[in-house]
Amino acid sequence: MSIPEAAPSPRVVDRTPSSATGESSPTGGGGGAEPPRTPFLLDFYPLEDAKYTRISRFFEELRAGHLTTTRCPTDGRVLWPPRLVCPECHRGDLEWTELPSRGRLYAFSAVLAGAPLGMEKDVPFVVGLVELEGIPLRIFSRIAGVRWEEARIGLEVELEPYTLEDGRVFFRFRQASGGSERTPPGEAAGKVRCP
Amino acid sequence: MTGRRVALVGGGVGPFGVRAATWTELVQEAGKVLFDRLPNLSPKEVDSLFVGAAQPERFAFQSHVAPLVAELLGISPWKVVQRTELACASGQSAIRSAYACIAAGLSDVAVAVGVEKMNLPSMAEANTSMADVLDRPWDGVHGATAPPFFAMCAQRHMLEYGTTAEQMARVSLKNHRFANSNPTAQFYAKTFTLDKLLATPWVSPPLRLGDCSSMTDGAAAVLLVSEERARRYTDTPAWIAGSAQHADFHNLANMPSLTHWTGLERAARELYRSSGLGPRDLDLAEIHDCFTISEIIEYEELGFCPKGQGGRFIEEGQSELGGKIPVNPRGGLLGCGHPLGATGIAQAVEVLDQFQARVPPARQVSGAEVALVHNLSGSANVHSLMMYRREN
Repeated sequence: MSIPEAAPSPRVVDRTPSSATGESSPTGGGGGAEPPRTPFLLDFYPLEDAKYTRISRFFEELRAGHLTTTRCPTDGRVLWPPRLVCPECHRGDLEWTELPSRGRLYAFSAVLAGAPLGMEKDVPFVVGLVELEGIPLRIFSRIAGVRWEEARIGLEVELEPYTLEDGRVFFRFRQASGGSERTPPGEAAGKVRCP
Repeated sequence: MTGRRVALVGGGVGPFGVRAATWTELVQEAGKVLFDRLPNLSPKEVDSLFVGAAQPERFAFQSHVAPLVAELLGISPWKVVQRTELACASGQSAIRSAYACIAAGLSDVAVAVGVEKMNLPSMAEANTSMADVLDRPWDGVHGATAPPFFAMCAQRHMLEYGTTAEQMARVSLKNHRFANSNPTAQFYAKTFTLDKLLATPWVSPPLRLGDCSSMTDGAAAVLLVSEERARRYTDTPAWIAGSAQHADFHNLANMPSLTHWTGLERAARELYRSSGLGPRDLDLAEIHDCFTISEIIEYEELGFCPKGQGGRFIEEGQSELGGKIPVNPRGGLLGCGHPLGATGIAQAVEVLDQFQARVPPARQVSGAEVALVHNLSGSANVHSLMMYRREN
């Protein structure tokens, strides 16, 4: 079987989380025609339904606009990505916690060449490590709403959940509306632009 | 060090590049070079086989590759046979596994083969496979492949230590120049200048095409034997003097620092301790320049220079022939290309060739006796190190 050159990855349907509520199940059930599916071995997105994963709650919360993860009750350690077992003490009864929905770029780059299948149409796109507000956690994410030439370390970004054509939900960050650019202390503004 | 001493006694590297050859054909080419170089070696005396291959399932739609390689090379291993996978360090993993088995007495004569076929009809498909080396559902899904990750390392290193684009380009210039004396290199006989490298197109800013190693097809093979057998094959073996590895995170959120690769620092400490050799003893180093910034950070973590001064180290010519520690005389991943599984094996062959003084003068380190080999894999979350010396 040949694999089509055209991007088979799930198409992104830009919808706000609120308009996505009331959808059928995340894997696109609901009795209608089967949604288009990417061959599993070329599909970057996680399987989200409770039929496939024990962290389906992460995706349900994301659909409602919340970025969550699990935390160990022993020492409050926040784990990313959400885990079932604490890698430090191996406790298995972790609790869910909500993460800040805002943060700032700690480091970033852009993909101008060599994009994987399904991402070629997005080129050039910005990616970066987002330092979440108030907690020591940096999450890697696609960064929307800013050209790479204009992005800077310290740029304020906010969570943006989105829905795939097949009904699954995922997240990225977007340059915050009305957000300020804050130059990290001790670092000259001219030095933090990329390149 | 415990166990029996282990010697690397022969090696062969096939042509690296964008090859009109399949995975299976690449293995045959490298195997022929190895056996042609060792007239005293019959495939039937090879008791163990280790195949370093990162992604044959995705790049060649073939798994269970160890028996395929055995069939191609006429080897019928009866002690140990396996494939080793550690992404960009799969080749060194094959050597390390052979080393461990011989040292422990489980094998006497072992072949380690490394191979990767990366140039496919659809390069987007190949890039998809490269994105699953990182944390696919959490990082890869956003578009994390090697270039943007190492670009972030470069961005922070430039910010924190003042490293410049020109210093990075100088790493590429050096390794391409070395590759000009290596006929198996992807960029053999191709001339680059600093200006030319600094004007190549962006891949992931601040990394340009000239800062990135290539998607390459290639294979290489080595023979490792126990101490008492070494002289049967060569008068000048490369003895394994030490080894270390370190792994510390997977998801990018859990990386301690983009610029201070503590895992490599720790592995280096263990390598120097276990071998009784340190940076000052090194005649050359073959290290993992998948990107120019990688080589700069590696100078620092391996103790070739103080932290933050990797840019100055290349600028001052300390990693050139005649410098403090010549680095990547083979041509590096930048000059030779980077067929994942083959790279670590080809680096080991370079060490043997340097010890045996059989490389062209343009890259020969005169009197080379001690060499370090380094591979990183994934997002620099695993570091693999080996030490070789000429005298037992």
